Amino acid sequence: MLGDARKAQEVFETTLREAALRAAHGELPNQPFWLFRDARWRCLEASETDLQAEPLQLEERDMTSVAPSQVAQLEPTQLAIWISGAPDPQRTALALFYLDEFDYREILELAELKLSELSRLLALGRRQFQAWLDAMLPEKTHL
Amino acid sequence: MKTPQLSRRERTLLNCAPIGEERIRDRSMRSAVLRASESNGFANQQSFDRAVAALVSSLPIPPATAEWFSTKDLFSPSKWTWKKILRNPAVLAVGIALVVIAGVLVFQFVARLNDFPGSATARKLLTIAGSTRSVLLDPVDADARTLSDLFFMKHGLEHYDVPPEFADFHTIGCRVFEDDESQRVAQMWVAEKRMQFFLFPAERDVKSGAILRFPGWRYVHQEGWVGAVMEHNGVCFMAALRGREKDLAAYIPKAKQ
Repeated sequence: MLGDARKAQEVFETTLREAALRAAHGELPNQPFWLFRDARWRCLEASETDLQAEPLQLEERDMTSVAPSQVAQLEPTQLAIWISGAPDPQRTALALFYLDEFDYREILELAELKLSELSRLLALGRRQFQAWLDAMLPEKTHL
Repeated sequence: MKTPQLSRRERTLLNCAPIGEERIRDRSMRSAVLRASESNGFANQQSFDRAVAALVSSLPIPPATAEWFSTKDLFSPSKWTWKKILRNPAVLAVGIALVVIAGVLVFQFVARLNDFPGSATARKLLTIAGSTRSVLLDPVDADARTLSDLFFMKHGLEHYDVPPEFADFHTIGCRVFEDDESQRVAQMWVAEKRMQFFLFPAERDVKSGAILRFPGWRYVHQEGWVGAVMEHNGVCFMAALRGREKDLAAYIPKAKQ
């Protein structure tokens, strides 16, 4: 969500500290995923203070069968930076989906999205990421 | 591989299809995935998603964060206290139901404590006593003891004797009738305190037919009426009046209760 381990650590600790305080006061919400939702908003707040990239129209490409091998050549932090650069709610959708911890209905609840929106954001994300892979990796492989 | 015709809803679902099949929890998603399982596009999507998820799972977690997950849970589960348990609506409802059931059982147990052979018949006769008017009875003008002969001579009822405690009471009416079990019951109306006497066959053992005897006087209560019952020679005698047990107890010697 943030593309920065230090910031992620800060958000994580703040979220847990706040949750502990609420627990101590017996004020824990009675909703599922409230902790994740809370963490998500903290991430969005934290990234608002950063320099924002200019919104630009990203290229899109159909996924190919070689995509997995392209992805395998990436460093995890490159992927993290790419996802953290996506506008929200696409960033939330991609981050939650690829964490592979939630099913789509849980993501809908957590990210406060409709099914059609989540579907569109994921499909768009895949195509944009494929275009980025295609643009990125040929150069990298020549190095 | 062929590309099946998918509905718009199925295509929407497939874009959100989980990376592993074990995470498919609803029927519509399972059906969409099944239908698309042979399509190239979906196969590419799944391989792409698996590769990205694998990369995400290899993201390094800072040691300070990893510590939180290494040994213990983030939060200990909230402890159940007695107060919390008692405030739970389900527990409260079950508790109230159990109290009511227990109350009914205790009430029935206490009621049964005073039961004796013939008490059910005695209670029915108390109900009859409450609804009887003196005009319904044949008028007589005699002591209660003398009616034994009348019951024997006129109705063939043996041992329908009034006990000595009530033998001298002046009777103003009597009748013999059959109750709902076709038992012949003698009913007398006495002048004192609008009291009524009943004589009816004692209860018998269903299998052996032997008379179920009980010693002394026993009390029964029904609809504001109280009856004192004793058994003698296979016939039960009941003195009944509207009131409390102590009103009737005055007529019955303590030693004989």
